[in-house]
Amino acid sequence: MAALSPSEAANAGRANLMAYATLSIISIFCIIPFFWVLLASLDGNAKLFLAWPENWTIANYARVFTKEDGGKWLFNSLFMVGGATLLVMVLAGLGGYALSRTNAWWKLPFLYGILLIRVLPQTALVVPLYKLMLTLNNAEGNLLRPIFGEYTRAIMRWTGFIDGYLGMILLLATMQLPLALWIMKTFFDGLPRDYEEAALMDGATLIQRIRRVLIPLALPGLAAAGLFAFMSAWGDFLLPLTFLSSPELQTLPLGLFRAFLRVNEIDYGLLAALAFIYLLPAVIAFGFARRFLVQTFSGGVKG
Amino acid sequence: MAMNLHEKRVERQLLWILLPSLVLLVAFVIYPALYSIWLSLTNEALTGAAAANPRFVGLKNYSRLLADGKFWNSLLVTFFFVIGSAVIGQFVLGLVSAMALKRSIRFKRIFSSIILLPNAAPEVVAGFMWISMLAGGEHATLSRIVMFFGITPADWLQVFPLAMIIIVNTWRGIATAMILLTAGLSTIPNEIYEAARMDGATPSQMFRRITVPLMMPTILLYMLISAISTIAVFGLVYALTRGGPGGATEVISIYLYNQSFTAYQLGYGAAVAVVVLLISLVIGLVYVRSMKVEV
Repeated sequence: MAALSPSEAANAGRANLMAYATLSIISIFCIIPFFWVLLASLDGNAKLFLAWPENWTIANYARVFTKEDGGKWLFNSLFMVGGATLLVMVLAGLGGYALSRTNAWWKLPFLYGILLIRVLPQTALVVPLYKLMLTLNNAEGNLLRPIFGEYTRAIMRWTGFIDGYLGMILLLATMQLPLALWIMKTFFDGLPRDYEEAALMDGATLIQRIRRVLIPLALPGLAAAGLFAFMSAWGDFLLPLTFLSSPELQTLPLGLFRAFLRVNEIDYGLLAALAFIYLLPAVIAFGFARRFLVQTFSGGVKG
Repeated sequence: MAMNLHEKRVERQLLWILLPSLVLLVAFVIYPALYSIWLSLTNEALTGAAAANPRFVGLKNYSRLLADGKFWNSLLVTFFFVIGSAVIGQFVLGLVSAMALKRSIRFKRIFSSIILLPNAAPEVVAGFMWISMLAGGEHATLSRIVMFFGITPADWLQVFPLAMIIIVNTWRGIATAMILLTAGLSTIPNEIYEAARMDGATPSQMFRRITVPLMMPTILLYMLISAISTIAVFGLVYALTRGGPGGATEVISIYLYNQSFTAYQLGYGAAVAVVVLLISLVIGLVYVRSMKVEV
């Protein structure tokens, strides 16, 4: 850098000071709400407001699992969101590869299509989706009931479209697919075709090409697509709120929301502990996803 | 040159491996979006006679919609919500953060991590954290902060509900704006600023004449993306206020949810959904046109 004159140096110093001041104020604004969750979750008599705990304890966390069904909620969330994430990674890995390598007429319409789909708000889709899922669920019930009789409900807890793991996983996955397909398509665009062509020359089948060549090469892209799918599905509240109602399928966001609705007997320590348990995986995933953020927020397109 | 047999086979295989994604998207996004148009022309309901036997009612839901003051209220609330949080709040704070972080200062990573943090919080958690900031009258964290500065506190969520959800959504989205705008800032070559400085330009002149014009494409892209995602916000506001008090924070997505699942009128809810879909599609088409899809 060129030497600065004294007045320029003073200016730069003042500007840096301004930068520190603004960044500090914005950072305080950003972080204060998190203090409440952390402190209240460790406070023996937590209140709704921010306070320094007088007796530190982890009893709140213990109560999440003993007094409430926190373990089950955590399992449900991990299972549904994890299942959806895996499904997204598989489908977007395959689909993104196809989108990157094809020359067919449907390529461009499909790409514009998934950009447009990303624009549609979930809330606007939930009403017709509910009708659709209800119809599918009833059809499945009518099909299974003559065969399995009283066990039908137990089976449909896993395979049902409403109040079932399968339905939730499919919906969560579908909502994350457009972005994941976009990430994977862009990723494969950047991969040279030499490897596949060499494999093709050697007479490898599609399955062999995918297993030996593409999966190892695509891992970084899949990691990014999976992380974003996980974060977004983990934070989703509308879909579980609409499509899950039975207690044994309750997920963390629902448990948290409903624990708060019991107005007369709100246990703030427990609530904060639950919120922290729900928050932690999201923050960890976000930390890993940081370096992919730029491409993804702008839609995966270099611009 | 015509495609040879081998290429045809490869193309067919590619279509096959895309098919599962296509099926899911058609079944759970495209079909519901189109189905909502049909639903909006019926008196479909979740309970009662209409649930068993829905009838075609033509445009009745739409005429009811246009006459419903609560619908117009929710559109207006959504408009203020988008302008206040996405266009002004997130944009201004995001731009300020991006420009400050561009300077050669220390602790950059810590600052940007903290600013990113709200973006990582799930909507429901964000809602509760802010209830602790805002609810509880004099004891609320925000009340104690303003009292420190000698300002009389209020029951924030009751007295300024719309302003509060705007602040909370701003808080949540600074990071998105900051990241996009940082990317935009980094495309402006330093030489331009150097040259302007040689010519004796002041910082505010450089901001107005260089930064803003050169950033325009990024700013427009940001505005489109954030407008779309702000219209879709549901859980955050639902956890904070559930649309209250008295509809003051009933953004369109909450109005839609309440009409469909609290009042059980799926047909009417679908009409609202069609309006929301149309608004989003219009913004979305501008967005897609502004993106150059690389084939």
